[in-house]
Amino acid sequence: MDKHSAPGPQEPNAMIGPGHSFNSVTDKISSIVLREGAPRGWWIGFGIGFVLTNMMLVSLIYLFARGTGIWGVNIPVGWGFAIINFVWWIGIGHAGTLISAILLLLRQEWRTSINRFAEAMTLFAVACAGIFPVIHTGRPWLAYWLFPYPNTMGLWPNFRSPLIWDVFAVSTYASVSLLFWYVGLIPDMATLRDRTVKIIPKRIYGVLSLGWRGSVRHWHRYETAYLLLAGLSTPLVVSVHTIVSFDFAVSITPGWHATIFPPYFVAGAVFAGFAMVLTIAIPLRRVYELQDFVTAQHLDYMARVMLATGLIVGYGYLTEAFMAWYSANPYETFMMSNRMTGPYAPVYWLLITCNILSIQALWFEKVRATPIGLFIVAMFVNVGMWLERFIIVATSLHRDFLPSSWAMYAGTVWDWSLFIGTLGFFVSLLFLFIRFLPMISIFEMKTMVPEAEVREDLL
Amino acid sequence: MAKAKLDRSAFMLPAGHHLHSVQRIALIVGIVAAGLTAFGAMSNPVQFFRSYLVAYLYCLALGLGSLGILLLHHVVGGRWGSILRKFLEAGSRTLPMLALAFVPLLFGMHELYEWSHADAVAHDPVIAHKSLYLNSTFFTVRAAVYFLVWITLATLASRWSAAQEEGGGPAVNKRLEFLGRGGTILYAGTMTFAAIDWVMSIDVHWFSHIYGLIFVAGQVLTAMAFMVVVASSFAGRAPFERIMCADRFHDLGKLMLAFIMVWAYFALSQYLIIWSGNLPEETPWYISRLSGGWEHFGSALIIFHFVLPFVVLLSRDVKRNPRSLALVACALLVFRYMDLYWLVVPSFSPGVFTLHWLDFSAMAALGGLWIALFVQQIKGHTLLPLGDPMLAPELAEGAES
Repeated sequence: MDKHSAPGPQEPNAMIGPGHSFNSVTDKISSIVLREGAPRGWWIGFGIGFVLTNMMLVSLIYLFARGTGIWGVNIPVGWGFAIINFVWWIGIGHAGTLISAILLLLRQEWRTSINRFAEAMTLFAVACAGIFPVIHTGRPWLAYWLFPYPNTMGLWPNFRSPLIWDVFAVSTYASVSLLFWYVGLIPDMATLRDRTVKIIPKRIYGVLSLGWRGSVRHWHRYETAYLLLAGLSTPLVVSVHTIVSFDFAVSITPGWHATIFPPYFVAGAVFAGFAMVLTIAIPLRRVYELQDFVTAQHLDYMARVMLATGLIVGYGYLTEAFMAWYSANPYETFMMSNRMTGPYAPVYWLLITCNILSIQALWFEKVRATPIGLFIVAMFVNVGMWLERFIIVATSLHRDFLPSSWAMYAGTVWDWSLFIGTLGFFVSLLFLFIRFLPMISIFEMKTMVPEAEVREDLL
Repeated sequence: MAKAKLDRSAFMLPAGHHLHSVQRIALIVGIVAAGLTAFGAMSNPVQFFRSYLVAYLYCLALGLGSLGILLLHHVVGGRWGSILRKFLEAGSRTLPMLALAFVPLLFGMHELYEWSHADAVAHDPVIAHKSLYLNSTFFTVRAAVYFLVWITLATLASRWSAAQEEGGGPAVNKRLEFLGRGGTILYAGTMTFAAIDWVMSIDVHWFSHIYGLIFVAGQVLTAMAFMVVVASSFAGRAPFERIMCADRFHDLGKLMLAFIMVWAYFALSQYLIIWSGNLPEETPWYISRLSGGWEHFGSALIIFHFVLPFVVLLSRDVKRNPRSLALVACALLVFRYMDLYWLVVPSFSPGVFTLHWLDFSAMAALGGLWIALFVQQIKGHTLLPLGDPMLAPELAEGAES
C-alpha cells in the first residue's frame, strides 16, 4: 500500500464511501440483481451484444462450411487474426487473476470491490480466446486430438511445441479461474437465496450456494480454500502468457525470437487486462451508482498498475529495437526497420502512440482522478495492445528470409466480423453476469465497513 | 504529524554490537587481500582483470541492488522496506567508492574486451558494426553517466530521508515517492546497458534481450539476502524487538523467495528460447558454459540457487525465524557469486573450467573493504527511519520500553 499518501483527515477510508453499514452494503449490491426487470440501458447493452454474438455465430458457421480460406491468412502470413485475437483476449483475462489472487496474497485491500467482475471478465475473455485456436485448426471437430490420449492411430502431439503447452496452460487457467470465481460467489449466492422471494430463483441460488449457512466452521474452511486457490492461481498468471510468448519466441523468425518475450508478454497482458477492467468499471460504477464501492482510490491504483506495466512493455519495445541493431544480424535489423518504416509503419507508430505515449498522461494525479480521462487512456491501450499483436504477427511474417515470397496481409470481412462478434459475445456474457450475479463481492465488501474493524482493546 | 521527538541515540548502533568487530575483521581481510591481489596484478595482469571484474560486479550488486530495493520501496511502500531502509541507504551510499573501484577496469579494457582492439574492428564486420556503440570513448562516457545517475539517486534518497527524520512532513514524503518512481525506471534502464557494456560485450558476437533484466534481478536478490543477514543481527534486541519482529522477517522471506523465482524465471526464459532456436550465433554462449566442467556449475546453480532455497523458503517457520532466514540468505550470497562467476568467466575460458587464487583474493579484497565501508555508513546514522509515518506507532512503543 502507498504509505506516503496515507489517508488524510478528509478521506477516512477511501476504499468505501462514508456512512455504509453491513445492511446498506447488502441492500445496495443485491438490489441490482433482485430488482424487478432490468433497466433500459441494460436491455440496450445486452441487445447490442446479442446481435454481435449472432454475427459471430454466422461467421463461425460460414467458416465451418467454407474453411479457413475465407480469412486473409495465406503463405507467408499463415498466422493472422486468429492468433492476434487469441493473444489479445487471453491477455485481457490476466488482470482478473492478478487482482483476485496476487493482490489477495499481498493483502491489498483495494482488490475487494473490483475482484468479482474482474474475475468474470477473465472467464469471458478466456472463453473468447479459446474459440480462435480451435477454429484455426481448420477441423475444430477434431480439436480433441490436441490432448495426448492413447489412440489407435498411434499419434501423439509434439510435446516440444509450445502450442501444445498452450492447450494445458489455457485449460488449467480456465478451470482454476472458474473454480476461484465460483468459490468466491458461494457466500453471496446464499445471501441472494435468503433475500429473494420468488421460488425459482430461490431454488437456483439455493443449489448454487451448496447449502451455505455461514457457520463458523464454514467460514474457517472457506477462507483456507480461498487462500489455497489464490496460491494455485498465482503461477498461472505468469505461466499462461509466458507460454503464449513461447509460441513466438521458440521459433527463429526475426522479431519473434527474443529472450525478453516472456516477461514482456506477461507485463503486456496485465497492462491490457487493467485497461479492460477500467473500461468496464468506469461506466458500470456510474450507471449503477457504485461510486461508494469502486472509489476514486480504486481507479487511481488501477491507473498506477497500468502505468507501471505499460512502462515495462515500453522497456520491451526499447530492448527489441536496440538488440535488432546490436545483434548485427541483417534479418533482425531489416525486420526492425521494416516495422518502423515499411508498409505497416503507420500501424507501428499508432501502437507506440497508444501504448507508450498515451499512458504518460497517467503520471498526473489529475488524469487519474478523472474517470473520463482514465477511460480514454484505457481505450487507447485496448486498441494499442491489439495493434501490438498485429505488428508482432504480421511484420515478422510478411517479409521474412525469402524476398520472393514477400506479401502483404490484411483481415477480410470475415476476419473482422468474427473478431467484432467475439466482442459482442464478451459484452453479452458480461451483461448477463451483471443481471444475475452480484457484481461486487457482498461479504468481502462488508469487511471494509467501519463496523467490521477488529477492536483489539475489546477482545 | 503530531509525534513526540524520539530519542535518536536509542536507535544508533549499540556499542557492543558485533557489526563493530565485523568491520574490523573485514577491514583487515580487505587490506591483506588487496595487497595479495596487487601482487597478483603485477605478475598476471590478465587474470587479475578477470578476477577483479567478477569481484567488482558482486560488490556492485550489493551497493546498486540496495539502491534498487530502496527505490522500489519508495514506490510501493510496506513495512518490510521501512525496517531495511537505513541499511539500504547505507548500502547505496557506497556507490561513490564503487565508482572509484571501477577505474581499474578502464585500464583493463584491452585485456577484457575484444572490441577494444583496433585490428579486431578492422577484421570482423560484426565488431565493426558494433563499434559505433562499443568503443573505448563511448564506453567510458557511458560508465560515467551510469555512476552519475546512481550516485545522484543514492544521495537524494539519503538526503531526503534525513529531512524526513528532521520532521520534513508530507512534502518530503511526496518527494521520496517521486524519487522512487523515476529512480526505479532510471535504475532498470541504466543497469540494462551497464550489463551489456561490462559483461555481455565480452562475448562480442553474442546477444540476448533479457540479459539486463537477469542482472537487475540478480543484484536485487544479492542485496536482499545481504540485508536479511544484517537485519537478523538486530532481531530480538531492544529497542528493535517490536519492529524487527517475526512478521517482518516473514515478509522479507517471502520477498526473497519471490526474487529467487524471478531470477529463475528470467534464466529459464533465456535458456529455453536459445536452446529451442538452436542458432549458431546464440548457442555458443551456452555451449561454453555447459562443457568442460562448467556444466556441473550450471547444475549446481539450478539446485542451490533455485530448487533448494525455493523448497526451504516455502516453510513458514524458516521465514519467521531470523536465524534460519539469515542462514538461507548467507547460502544465497555464496550462490550469487557462483552465478556471476558462471556468467562471466566461461567467456574467457570457454569449455574449460578454471579457478585462480586471484578470484578468491580479489573477492576478499573488494568484499572486505565494501563491508567495512558499509558498516562505516551505518555508524553515523540511526538504524531505523524515525520519520517514516508507517513505523510511527511501533517506534513510539520501542522508545518507551
